[in-house]
Amino acid sequence: MSAISSAFSSEKSVFIPYISLGDPNYESCVTWADALIKGGAGILELGIPFTDPVADGPVIQKAFKRALAHPFSMKKILEITAEIHRLHPEIPLVYLTYFNPLYSMGLDTFAEIAKNSGIQGLIIPDLPYDTPEAEEFFTQLEKRKIDFIHLVTPATTEERIQSMKSLATGFIYYVTSYGVTGERRALSEGLEDRIKMVRKKVALPVCAGFGISTVDQAKEISTYADGVIIGSAIQKIIEENGNNSELCAKKLFEYASGIRSSMR
Amino acid sequence: MGKESNYSEKKGYFGEFGGRYAPEILHDALVELESTYTKLKKNKQFKKELEYYRKNYIGRPSPLTYAERLTKAWGGARIWLKREDLNHTGAHKINNTIGQVLIAKAMGKTRIIAETGAGQHGVATATVGAMFQMKTVVYMGDEDLRRQELNAIRMRMMGATVVGVSSGTATLKDATSEAMRDWALNVADTHYIVGSSIGPHPFPTIVRDFQSVIGIESRKQFQKTNGKLPNVVIACVGGGSNAIGMFYGFIKDKKVKLYGVEAGGYSSEPGSHSATMAFGRTGFLHGTKTLVIQDEFGQIVPAHSVSAGLDYPGVGPEHAHFHKSGRVKYANVGDEAALDAFLEVCRIEGIIPALETAHAFRFAKDLAKEMGKKEDILICLSGRGDKDVAEVARLRKGEFT
Repeated sequence: MSAISSAFSSEKSVFIPYISLGDPNYESCVTWADALIKGGAGILELGIPFTDPVADGPVIQKAFKRALAHPFSMKKILEITAEIHRLHPEIPLVYLTYFNPLYSMGLDTFAEIAKNSGIQGLIIPDLPYDTPEAEEFFTQLEKRKIDFIHLVTPATTEERIQSMKSLATGFIYYVTSYGVTGERRALSEGLEDRIKMVRKKVALPVCAGFGISTVDQAKEISTYADGVIIGSAIQKIIEENGNNSELCAKKLFEYASGIRSSMR
Repeated sequence: MGKESNYSEKKGYFGEFGGRYAPEILHDALVELESTYTKLKKNKQFKKELEYYRKNYIGRPSPLTYAERLTKAWGGARIWLKREDLNHTGAHKINNTIGQVLIAKAMGKTRIIAETGAGQHGVATATVGAMFQMKTVVYMGDEDLRRQELNAIRMRMMGATVVGVSSGTATLKDATSEAMRDWALNVADTHYIVGSSIGPHPFPTIVRDFQSVIGIESRKQFQKTNGKLPNVVIACVGGGSNAIGMFYGFIKDKKVKLYGVEAGGYSSEPGSHSATMAFGRTGFLHGTKTLVIQDEFGQIVPAHSVSAGLDYPGVGPEHAHFHKSGRVKYANVGDEAALDAFLEVCRIEGIIPALETAHAFRFAKDLAKEMGKKEDILICLSGRGDKDVAEVARLRKGEFT
């Protein structure tokens, strides 16, 4: 069983927080990760900054901009990842990134180094499963037992979800609402039924993300989703407190604990 | 149409470039767009309607002008101009927005959005938005809003909402990202009128098809006037929509040399030009696989050009393919040289060209000198330069005020 699969082996819904690596600097991200894991994260999502994140809203765009204000280095990204992995080897780490930086590095090289840094899964919003590159990448990842996590949205047809099955592993990232990442007040209708349908079609755990920020939302969604992904709300805490490491870590821990304790 | 065309329409790729690398939320909208367009382009009523608007609203066919005085001044090949500057709204962009708004209407969409650099595509979108009474939102980088204020005012006058984009470099690249985000949120009632031959499949094909009217008309007009084809065809390339449209008329005429001219900016250093063909490498940007100006880590490097419309770090995937196959040669011309050519065309020919087109003029000037007096160069005069006069006056330090 892969590390990601074992994270879903209990009856509990998994809390999956997200942070953008490098915001406000690389070293602090180890502290943020530590606080979130201690607060109850079951899987941690790490964003690799990209200049043009078309699937992300203003909060994550700003985080990437702050991160890219320092000279960007994939080496540094991988080192910080390895550091987080060393501190918490039991917590699966997943990268969320855009395709161009990975393609630029070379898919095989990237997969090899990512594996060695402790990465167990990849989410790439601008690499649909039905592209030649996704197929090639899947082979590289499969060799190293890194999961290829796909996004399903309210607009994705059942036929397409079915076809995705052959290239999807780990879990399915279910996008709860139209648009880009960021907080929203209301969740799309029929979410529970859609999540159940996806789980049945793909036979993988289904985690919900995009627009989730409150304890109440996490509580409700955890009753039927295998995991709850929260990005922008966490990144906002870092945006507001990132320059005071101690305070920021405290707030992240409290936020994570609050979410975790509300969840199934 | 040529072999490339069949391939692209079947697979959404041009050689190794193109494809559909958009966020999953947009996938179904792209499939719907592709299937609607595939049906419409064979539909007689659609073709008739498009033809009607081309003739009676845009003012097509646009004239082919013999530039007698430029020919004399440059002392070589004869210079001919395809006058897209004489279209309604003053540029080639309206050829595409008319076509796409008809598709949007057929899909039952009630809202259109667009990105714009120089503002010409924004104006063309605002125009069809008013004409077809659709709610219209145009994204424009803050830096471009400063440079092209007149166009922002024109858009607002026609009822469009102009949204300034401050992220990234606040230029066309960022306006494009923002338009994609809007589309992801409002995909149910909104059509995104992509303005250049860029973006996920089927946009590069759709834009090229609607712009190919430029090349098809030019070929006929030139043949009729001269009993032959031009030796050389030149167009400026940012994303590359006027160029792809012009080239498509001549793509099968292997003896006609095709040149695309990009913005060389002020130096060859990263961040100071938009010369994607010279300095880009294969990558993924705004939903397509193409040549992209990027750093060693795959981060997109900001582009620069004196002309907001060429200020883009990528290029249409079909151009990337033509570059690789060698069918089209690509060059670049710097800011200062383009400014000189802009003023030269104003003074010699009585035409104020868009700063974008001025790049093509400057390249033509050098090439004309090397060619014989019985040879012909056809330039796509993609748009008029009224929008640029304030910026040129500013750059030339009060020479005109």
